[in-house]
Amino acid sequence: MRDKWWFPVVYMFVMTSFFSSIVIGFSQVTGARVEANEHLAFEKAVLSVLPGLFNEGTSRSELHRRFVERVSSPDKKTGDAYTLKDSGQTIAYALPISGQGFWAPIKGVIGIKADLRTITGIAFYEQNETPGLGAQITKNTFRSQFQDKVISSAGKSLNMKRPSDMLGTSDVHAVTGATQTSARLERIINDALKKWLSEFAQTNGEGRTQ
Amino acid sequence: MNAGPEISQAFIVCISAVFTQNILLTYFLGLCPFLGVSREVKTATGLGFAVIFVLTSTCMLNWLVYHYVLVPLNLEFFRFILFIIIIAAFVQLVEMVLDRYSPFLYQQLGVFLPLITVNCAILGASLFMVIRDYSFIVAVGYGFGSGLGWFLAIIAMAGIRQKLVNDRIPQGLQGPGITLIIAGLMALAFMGFSGVLQAR
Amino acid sequence: MAFGVCSNEWGGPDTVNKKPDARKIIIDGLWRNNPVFKQVLGICSTLAVTNLVLNTVVMCVALIFTLSLSAATVSLLRKFTPRNIRMMIETLIIGFYVIIVDLVLKAYWPEMSTNLGPYVGLIITNCIVMGRCEAYGNTNPPGPAFLDGFFNALGYSFILLIIATIRELLGMGTVLGYPMPYFSGPYWDKWIIMVAPPGAFFMLGVVTWIFRSIEIRREHNTK
Repeated sequence: MRDKWWFPVVYMFVMTSFFSSIVIGFSQVTGARVEANEHLAFEKAVLSVLPGLFNEGTSRSELHRRFVERVSSPDKKTGDAYTLKDSGQTIAYALPISGQGFWAPIKGVIGIKADLRTITGIAFYEQNETPGLGAQITKNTFRSQFQDKVISSAGKSLNMKRPSDMLGTSDVHAVTGATQTSARLERIINDALKKWLSEFAQTNGEGRTQ
Repeated sequence: MNAGPEISQAFIVCISAVFTQNILLTYFLGLCPFLGVSREVKTATGLGFAVIFVLTSTCMLNWLVYHYVLVPLNLEFFRFILFIIIIAAFVQLVEMVLDRYSPFLYQQLGVFLPLITVNCAILGASLFMVIRDYSFIVAVGYGFGSGLGWFLAIIAMAGIRQKLVNDRIPQGLQGPGITLIIAGLMALAFMGFSGVLQAR
Repeated sequence: MAFGVCSNEWGGPDTVNKKPDARKIIIDGLWRNNPVFKQVLGICSTLAVTNLVLNTVVMCVALIFTLSLSAATVSLLRKFTPRNIRMMIETLIIGFYVIIVDLVLKAYWPEMSTNLGPYVGLIITNCIVMGRCEAYGNTNPPGPAFLDGFFNALGYSFILLIIATIRELLGMGTVLGYPMPYFSGPYWDKWIIMVAPPGAFFMLGVVTWIFRSIEIRREHNTK
């Protein structure tokens, strides 16, 4: 049988369908989980920039429950930001930000207190920066710098300074060795904040008091 | 769709694929043939041209297949196998066409074509293109730029290695060792280009 | 598809058609015929992630899984596979295991999956996988083929782990993300170059140099 001309064709066909069906079956099993992971990555980013909602080691289902219960969906009034409310009072906003990073789009969330000035945190749920360099933006050492920084009213909202520079209230240190990622991220953040704040002022008819 | 910004983005991606994010010197793709076939400038040139051609064409083909076949069918994870099969089939086809119609080109490039299927730079460029979500025009620019970057790197390396032939190199460092260290120096030099494209 | 350029460029001994002997397979894979410094094969797909130890570990586990199982599968089917489509079948089998790894990572460790980016998929074109399937799996029974694949991958992994540990330590002052004494302190000026691509080339060059020199000395002494 092995000498027949059709044997290689049939053999190839049988092998391909055999392995393909296993892979397709396997992907059906994991498919739902992969999709859930994508949603969860976003929800986790939102929770981690809002005060008091996120701690390490929380289970997946608990994270999802918190997101559904505590975070209100964005609407026109909040300028497309998610909001955290406590007994009707807005505590903080979580504004999704995105833009082109060094290699691929960076997507993240930045948290701002109800005073529209103080940053509560920043998190990223999609990025493809260089591992060990640009990808350090997802590490706590970089992200925790943003907490309690104040959006500056003049010039750039937030500044990324060289790692050796002194920091003011609106400055954070850039990632060492990742100039490009830092420059682009600075731009993404500032564009998003500027746009959001002006929209917010328009829809709510009140500028930021300075 | 407005093609203007697309084309300018394709151009920028192309230039950055040649210099700032050279597929060989920053991603280490296509390292095996780079180490193996960089002894002489002449052979390196032949292989380099073949890589530029195949990389650009397979990037296009794979983009079309990915976006018009795999995405609608929801079989994105199948791309690993499909891409490599397309690459292999394309290389085979080119070889046959060249053999039939252009004996001259076949003589120049023919021997290198089979090596290309196992060149990870080809598959790597296709995979990067998918991950970074490039549009078709940008993907073509990226494919061409990556090929050109690889070409430049291997020719530079072949030139350097030809000069090294008569130098005395410690025995353990001969061959791959010294080639890798030269590649490191080249990567260092190429890092200097990173200021060329500032954040926009 | 040809491996001429990949497999014997630097002249490593091949293990075709020898009587299977577990001890020999292990020593060959780990040292005498080590994929990295002896055969100089398949470094492309993994070198890029060696700036972090954790990424390297995951990548190496993926490689060990793919290489040992695909060598065994190729060997299982060796009596049936027609010679002219052998390469296609091998690609299919390797691709199959790579997709499994990719799907598992995506579902259960999404962060790692994004960290590794396209490099998991690139295991398919990793010459060492195809090379071992061709040179050993094709002509030997499944058991030894599995062992051969496993220890080749292990020999490959240990070199890459050495490189990754040094790169992460010198470049970031950490190992596996944990700060190391002295290196993470203020007295150690971090060598950013180690985390950047040139660092990988330098480290691999130096490691190849050291191990080859040891090997040359050993051969010299036994003669």
